Amino acid sequence: MAILLLGGLARGTAAAAERPFQGPYIENDDLLVVLIPRTREQMAAFYEARGFPPAAIERIGQTCFVTAHIENRSRRVIWLELDQWRFTSNGKPLSRLDADYWRAQWDTIDLHQASRSTFGWTQLPAVRDLQPDEPVGGNLVFPGDTQRLTVEAEFPTGVDRQGVPVSVNFGAIGCDRGTRQP
Amino acid sequence: MNNVIRITGLLWLLTFAVTTAADALPAGVMRVDGAPAPALRLSDLDGAPYDLADTQGHWRFVHFWASWCGPCRREMPSIQQMAKRLGDTELEIVLVNTAETEDEVFAFLAAVAPDLMPLLDSDGLVTEAWQPRGLPATFLVDPQDRIRYQALGGRGWEQPAYINFLRNLPASTATPAGNR
Repeated sequence: MAILLLGGLARGTAAAAERPFQGPYIENDDLLVVLIPRTREQMAAFYEARGFPPAAIERIGQTCFVTAHIENRSRRVIWLELDQWRFTSNGKPLSRLDADYWRAQWDTIDLHQASRSTFGWTQLPAVRDLQPDEPVGGNLVFPGDTQRLTVEAEFPTGVDRQGVPVSVNFGAIGCDRGTRQP
Repeated sequence: MNNVIRITGLLWLLTFAVTTAADALPAGVMRVDGAPAPALRLSDLDGAPYDLADTQGHWRFVHFWASWCGPCRREMPSIQQMAKRLGDTELEIVLVNTAETEDEVFAFLAAVAPDLMPLLDSDGLVTEAWQPRGLPATFLVDPQDRIRYQALGGRGWEQPAYINFLRNLPASTATPAGNR
C-alpha cells in the first residue's frame, strides 16, 4: 500500500519568533500537524491556575507534555488514531501515558471530578474521524525521563479507512525536563 | 412551443438553485443523525435552574466551552454578536461551561460576552454525556429535542453564512435544512 511520506516538509528551523507556530510543524495539502514541547513549569502553572491540588501537580510534573494541533486540510475524512503512531526515544519504543494511566493516578489521589474532566479535555483524543477542515488539539504525555523523542504518525483516510494513508514523521522533539525548548 | 421550453427550463433552473442553496451548510457545520439530546439540567451563574427539556418547541444552540481553551476564547465574542443579530428569532442560545468555577466563568465572560448567561457544568459530567468532539463544541437541537447539526471546532457565528443558516432553520424538523 502506498504511503505518503511527508516528514520534514516545511519543518521550522528559524528562530521561534519567525516561525508561524510555537513548535515543529508539518504542513501540506492534507494536514497541518504541530507539536509543541512544554516545560514542567508551563504545565504546572496551567493546572495550578485551574485549581488542581499539589498531589496532582506533582504527578503532572513527573511527566513530559507535548501539545499537538492537527487540522484536516483535505476534502476527505482523515483518521487520528494514536494507536497508529509510533514513538521512540534513544532508539527504543516509547509508550505515551494514556487515559488509563491517568485514571489510575487520579484514583490514587482521589482527584475531584471537575479536575478529571478538565484534564481529560486537555488531552489529544485517542481516535477522531477528522472531517474536512476540522481541527483537533490536545496533549500527548510521556514518562518524565524521556529526553528526545521521534514521532511516526500514520493517518488512515476515508470514511471506511480504506484510502491511501498519510504519514508524517517528526524527529528530535524536545522533552527535556524543566527547560524551555530552543 | 418555444415558450413552454423556456418556462420549463426556467423552472428547472429555479428548482436546482433552491435545492443547491438548501443543501449548502456553512463551513464546519456537520449534519448528524438526529439522536435525542442528552439531559441538560444545570444552574446558571445566578443559581437559577435550567432544563433544556423545558424549552422544546424551538431550536436550541447548545455550546460547550471553557475559558482555558484558546479556540473557545476566540469564538465567544462571535457568539455574543450572533446573539444580538438573532435577537428577533426564537433560537435559544445555551452556553455550558465545562468544569470551571463561578469566578473563572464570570471573570472571562464579563470581559468578552457580558450579555450571555452561562450554565455551570461544575463537575463536567453533563458535557461528557453530550460527547462533544472537543471544546469548543456546538450542537443544534431541533424543536423536538433531537440533535440535527454539530459544528466542528470554533466558528465565526456572526458571519452572514452562519446567521442566514440559523435564521432559516425549519420550524418543523421532519426534513431539516439541507435535507429538503
